[in-house]
Amino acid sequence: MPVSVEETDNDSVVIHVSGRFDYSIHSQFLSAYESFPKGEECFIVDLKDAEYMDSSAMGMLLQLREHSDKAAGGVTIRNSSEAIKDVLRIANFHRLFTIV
Amino acid sequence: MSGNRIVLIVDDDMPQRLVLRSQLEGLGYPVVEATNGLEAVRVFEETEPHMVFMDIVMPEMDGYQAASIIKQRCGQRFVPIIFLTALTDEHQLARCIEAGGDDFLMKPVGRIVLESKIRSLERIGALHAQIHALYGQVQQEQKLAEEVFSNAVLANNVALDRIDTLHRPAALFSGDVLLTAYSPAGDLNVMLGDFTGHGLAAALGALPASEAFRAMTAKGFSADQIIRGIGGKLYALLPTSLFMAAQFVSISHDLRHITVCNCGMPDILVLGKEGEIKQRIQSAALPLGIAADANYGHLVTHLDITPGDRVLMVSDGVTDVRNPQGDYFGETGFIEALEQATAGESVVERLAEVLREFAGDAPQDDDISLAEIPCVPEILPAWSMEVEDSVFENRSRSAEEQAEDPGEGRLEFSLFLHGRRLAQADPVPLIINNLQEMDEIAVHRRTLFTILTELYVNALDHGVLGLDSSLKGSAEGFAHYYAERERLLSELKDGYVRIRVRVSPAAEGKDVEIFIEDSGSGFRFRPFLEDAEHSTGYAGRGIRLVRELCKSFSYEEPGNRVRAVFGLQS
Repeated sequence: MPVSVEETDNDSVVIHVSGRFDYSIHSQFLSAYESFPKGEECFIVDLKDAEYMDSSAMGMLLQLREHSDKAAGGVTIRNSSEAIKDVLRIANFHRLFTIV
Repeated sequence: MSGNRIVLIVDDDMPQRLVLRSQLEGLGYPVVEATNGLEAVRVFEETEPHMVFMDIVMPEMDGYQAASIIKQRCGQRFVPIIFLTALTDEHQLARCIEAGGDDFLMKPVGRIVLESKIRSLERIGALHAQIHALYGQVQQEQKLAEEVFSNAVLANNVALDRIDTLHRPAALFSGDVLLTAYSPAGDLNVMLGDFTGHGLAAALGALPASEAFRAMTAKGFSADQIIRGIGGKLYALLPTSLFMAAQFVSISHDLRHITVCNCGMPDILVLGKEGEIKQRIQSAALPLGIAADANYGHLVTHLDITPGDRVLMVSDGVTDVRNPQGDYFGETGFIEALEQATAGESVVERLAEVLREFAGDAPQDDDISLAEIPCVPEILPAWSMEVEDSVFENRSRSAEEQAEDPGEGRLEFSLFLHGRRLAQADPVPLIINNLQEMDEIAVHRRTLFTILTELYVNALDHGVLGLDSSLKGSAEGFAHYYAERERLLSELKDGYVRIRVRVSPAAEGKDVEIFIEDSGSGFRFRPFLEDAEHSTGYAGRGIRLVRELCKSFSYEEPGNRVRAVFGLQS
């Protein structure tokens, strides 16, 4: 599965994305988080196994951010490759997300 | 496929045909027959059946060959072909499907199996028809949208004959958009936008973006205000997941500076005459349409250029191009291609060629856009004075008409900007808009815009902020000047600029009197005016220009008040 979800003890929901992070996984990405009540969770998007990300994936991240508890930290993006980090840096996404 | 639809049975064995015919007629299908492949093709053309049952081994032409001919003639229509076979060899059965068959039935055919096969194929047929209709609808809508897009978004672009562009959409419809327009001062504004994804959805935002870009450019708003305006509009209109990365470049009408803002795009490059990279402008801002109301003032870069330099704008689709082995063209490929371009050669053409070779026949994932803008006089507007004169004559009113309306031709208003307002507002477009009601002034818009801008910027920069214009003497100083200006503006708490504009009839035409006062302590304007006569540097050039344009020009002691009169007919 290109998208999988796990809940951790410290109140964050981790979403793993693998392969190409683009529009083709849109509905899977959406169903990974929409069952959680809006505005009440922090999310971690783990991109350890993602090899590529396009602008529609960035749109999906923005939607996830809308769904998250922004005051409590919103969305963290972790383990991204150098290529994906570049994409995030160019878009200045560090202003909206915690990128580690 | 039920009802009165014809079914074709192809078999050289008469008893077989008879059995199948009676079964099919029992299910309510009219039947036509053929005894070999050749005849089947002919009967198929004559009767246009909606389903074919095909034997394999027949004289003249076998079932495989007939099936592939019939499938070819079907075109977009879905006509299922079911092979009838006594063979059990798996390779033979596989060959049925390869030849274009949709299914096969073992002879002898039982009634129940026949009925379920037909039902299953009817289901597939219905799906096929549905997809076909939907596809047609999508095609048609995209064509319509593309037409709207070309008319509303692209048709108003300027200077395109001088700008080298490469545009390869990944879908029929692109998410990339290149916009160009002239400001009232004659500056060329260019924006390359890249919407999320591509296709129709991506192009949805192009309409409001281009509308805001053109309207605000025409009114003379500054780069950061235009970007903010477009961003605000897209934020209000587009859903969260849709946004636009953008490169914005404004080239000044004297071809000496550019104002640049990069919002989530690859670097904007300034190339010298030899093709060498002189400047790189990295992405400094979020793409547009993500944040409600962002301030772009400090994210805009002012740079000094030399006429003949080229500005290269590029979408990320270029580095994302992949070759048939799946490798990315990347930043390295891009820079190498740039270095290969010889002096005077179009970088865009070179890149187009390199990209074509690199990609081969690999599918294209993203829209590719490139624009190379040469900073040469030909990109600037050719507004001629003759046109302005003829418009002026046509619009002038007779003496009687003027006598009936004593207020005609007179206008006076003032503006007072204080403290933080000075950092946020640009009053010049506002004033020009106010004056626009008067026909005569509309045709002198550009000149008035220049005069007002020079005087207002002087009052703000030197009067209120106390910046020293001699800083602008060098290229580094120029950038430093703007950085300092940005800092001072962001910290500004008090200070003011008062502007009064009065239009009144004069001996010939009308006079526009502009009076500007600032909160500064004034300056020694007499030596400054003398110096400005001879100076060739940056300092004083603006004022020299204003003095040339105006009928009269004077400072009042202690130098924080200036009065300029512009004659509408010389």
